[in-house]
Amino acid sequence: MRNWKAFLASAGVAAALLGTPVLAQDEPAAPPLQDIPRDQTLILQNPEGTIRNPGWFNIWVPAGGGWTTGLHQLSMDTFWYIDPNEGIDGVTYNSLATGPAIYNDDYTEMTVELRPGVYWSDGVEFTAHDVVFTVEKQADTPGMNWSGVFSQQVETVEAVDDYTVHFTLQAPNSRFDSVFKVRWNAAWIMPKHIFEDVEDVLSFDNNPPVGLGPYTLHSYDPNGSWYIWEKREDWDRTAMAEFGEPAPQYVIYRDGGPTDRRLIEMRNGNLDMIHDLTPEGMFSIVQQDETARGWFEGFPYAHPDPTLPSVIFNHQNEKFQDRNVRWALALMLDGRAISMASYRGAATMSAIAIPPTGTHPTDYHIPMNEWLTEFELDTGTSVIRPYDPDLTLGIADMVRPQYGDAVPSDPAEIRAAFGQGWWRQDIDAATELLTNAGFTRQGNNWIMPNGEPFAFSLMIPGDGVINRLGTMVAQNWTQAGVAVDVVVASDHADQRNAGNYDSYIWWSVETWGGHPDLSYFLDSWHSQYVADPGEIQPARNWQRWQHPELDRIIEEVRVTGFDDPRNLELGLEFVRLMVEEMPIIPVMSYNVFAVMSERYWTGYPSADNPYANPVNNWSNSRYILTQLERAGN
Amino acid sequence: MQNYLLFVTKRAVQLLAVIFFGVSAAFLITHLSPINPVEQAINRITGRSNFSPEAVADMRAALTALYGIEEPLWSKFINFWRRIVVLDLGPSLIAFPTPATTLVMRALPWTVGLLATAVVFTWLIGNILGGLAGYYQNNRVLKGVGIVAMGLQPIPYYIVAFILLIVFGFVWPVLPISGGFAMNVRPGWNWPFIGSVLSHAILPALSLVLVGLGTWFLGMRALVSNIISEDYVTYAELAGVNKRTIVASYVIRNAAVPQLTALAMTLGAIFSGTVITEEVFSYPGLGSLLIAAVNAGDYALVLAVATVAITAVAGAIFIVDLLHPILDPRITVE
Repeated sequence: MRNWKAFLASAGVAAALLGTPVLAQDEPAAPPLQDIPRDQTLILQNPEGTIRNPGWFNIWVPAGGGWTTGLHQLSMDTFWYIDPNEGIDGVTYNSLATGPAIYNDDYTEMTVELRPGVYWSDGVEFTAHDVVFTVEKQADTPGMNWSGVFSQQVETVEAVDDYTVHFTLQAPNSRFDSVFKVRWNAAWIMPKHIFEDVEDVLSFDNNPPVGLGPYTLHSYDPNGSWYIWEKREDWDRTAMAEFGEPAPQYVIYRDGGPTDRRLIEMRNGNLDMIHDLTPEGMFSIVQQDETARGWFEGFPYAHPDPTLPSVIFNHQNEKFQDRNVRWALALMLDGRAISMASYRGAATMSAIAIPPTGTHPTDYHIPMNEWLTEFELDTGTSVIRPYDPDLTLGIADMVRPQYGDAVPSDPAEIRAAFGQGWWRQDIDAATELLTNAGFTRQGNNWIMPNGEPFAFSLMIPGDGVINRLGTMVAQNWTQAGVAVDVVVASDHADQRNAGNYDSYIWWSVETWGGHPDLSYFLDSWHSQYVADPGEIQPARNWQRWQHPELDRIIEEVRVTGFDDPRNLELGLEFVRLMVEEMPIIPVMSYNVFAVMSERYWTGYPSADNPYANPVNNWSNSRYILTQLERAGN
Repeated sequence: MQNYLLFVTKRAVQLLAVIFFGVSAAFLITHLSPINPVEQAINRITGRSNFSPEAVADMRAALTALYGIEEPLWSKFINFWRRIVVLDLGPSLIAFPTPATTLVMRALPWTVGLLATAVVFTWLIGNILGGLAGYYQNNRVLKGVGIVAMGLQPIPYYIVAFILLIVFGFVWPVLPISGGFAMNVRPGWNWPFIGSVLSHAILPALSLVLVGLGTWFLGMRALVSNIISEDYVTYAELAGVNKRTIVASYVIRNAAVPQLTALAMTLGAIFSGTVITEEVFSYPGLGSLLIAAVNAGDYALVLAVATVAITAVAGAIFIVDLLHPILDPRITVE
């Protein structure tokens, strides 16, 4: 018995000792608030979750810590922002720059005029010397995020005076300004007076961060689950002041956890903005919380992201060389079934290789509708018009019995929310196309011209709507006689980059969103960047598609100014080429179910007032803060 | 005594061998993972902006050198063991350049402090109640506890976690459902912080306690039910020994030996077994750290967690082995 008592006593002491280190955590960088006034605080979900290196704020070094903790939204700044939607006063924001980049005639030099009267959060004035330091430091330090960009492209950078920076480039580049243009990230300017004294910048944590944004770090969880930012007293000495005073005194970014917990936290008033939910989670929160709403007031609620989930064919695989085959595979797909399987009908479909978001519907989708409707495809046996301009109206009809008045009834509204149209499923035409390509039928299975079964794999991620999309695509193909093996790959991004796949569900198109220029993704599609089979493919064009007409378009974009109207014409040429060749099958926008609660704040962006992307991990979301108003609760 | 020392020495050698092979296996398995941490980092960074292909190639070369992953496997293996000896597992890749051991030491107290304490507490209560229920088989209260235990026991702990989340976070929102402590308190030896830690620990601990209690209760009750029919118990009863003494000294003590072994195994497995609980409640322990490390292909961090887990399991079994001859009079060391 004495042994047992001793054991119990030991266990008790051990438990107490084991618990002790919990209390010996590192303290946050700044003293925490004792009472955060909720009605002056905006709380947002950080989609990065828990940050494993919470005290790391050196955003110029890779994999160092969290970014969407408020660090790049509230604390950083650079020359320009471009919104994926319409912007408060136009899509482009002049932030640290006073106007657009000024290039010489052959795009080998770029001059930027800087905004005077902008101060770092520690009171030091921001000048051109900070910019020069930013470029030179990274160009000279391999391993920093923008080292490659600067060392490969910049010949010299100089401060002409305190408010003028002049770049000389190693080669003509009409888009060098985009290095400093935030779509949701860009080359952030470093505080020279902090970093010039740092011996090893790669191991410097930059804690607490000194920034150019209107907020400073107040405190953070040493376990990485929350960050509190406080509005600077001199917020009017930041570039953002031109667009108004940010309303919240405090902004908190926190780990929202799994979908269920995000819903509960918002319902309980502990989250004002949720970055993203599952479709089911979105439908649930609007029922559970009358203050919660999405981008569209009703179904499908989601904000179409400027990315375009597609069926990507590996063009270094001989099975996908023939345009007839690619088109046949497209016509085997049932758009309605795909929409229901992936997004429960809340998809924004896209027949063209431009995501239906921001200004793209008016730039591209609506203007292309007539051309698409009249587009003819020669199957070798007949000529068909494969585009169905009313397919999305049918999807709205399918979900209306369940969601009632939340589903729009006006065709224009339906097309805005569900997409303009898509390809009709046409198995007969697909049969003609494959036959024209030399394929034959054996029972229900297709046989390739070389006598082997038409079989390939479709790589999809492990979960999410993209997984569901891929599953339905594979099912459609299998029903049509194509032997498709679905590969669920946890390392799908690595496989994609190395070209180790037959076909793949992901996106290789990702645009600015609010601007018709396509350089954001298109330049990396040039044939000069296509890697040999098995070698890692740099930056998109994961389909490894090469086409002389594509190269011509890209080369012309390279010598056309960003705001030149010719860009839209070149974009339309790209879209038509993509339809004719079908190198990827564009399916839909990546719809993000961002949720905003109006319990404490109103004035969020929406489809009716699309002044900003509502997804709160984007750096552009900083401008939302200037439009918010207290709800009075 | 000499026999016992020999026994300890043999077991200690076994312990070291188990740790060596276990950690080596973890090393090999981790390095067979198809996830490339350099590509993960590049995807994270370039996914956010328009890097030129040349810039990406430069970044790839720089990161490969920085992470030190270009070494051949055998060289990595030798260096890995060299570093283990000095307790340095290299930098974590998801929190570069923070050492992996720093992250583990930051998470370890949460897992051990809350979850291990919860398991030990559950073990004690479950066994005591189970022992009493096995001996006093007609007691109505203990019968009721048995029914509840049987109901809870087959439910996976993560289902219980979600139920608790819904009940105390949504239906009756009285308890915090996320993190280790509240946002507005200062970590340290102060009551607001201690109170906050305790309140945040209730739901994750309860999810383990509710299920664990049933498991230990039912196991102990079954053991005691068998033991009370043993001759020595019958003899003690006939000899008029006090019932409390019989229960505490003869019955529960003998039945506790296998339960103690099971406890050691459970404590070891807690490092990976409570991953989902930690994920559900965003509890800042080793489980959620492990998930993040695996998803990012962070070899160093996965190995740091695995090394701690393997050492803990092997160490716990080692301690139990040493305790057996002391606790159980029926076991002698030859």
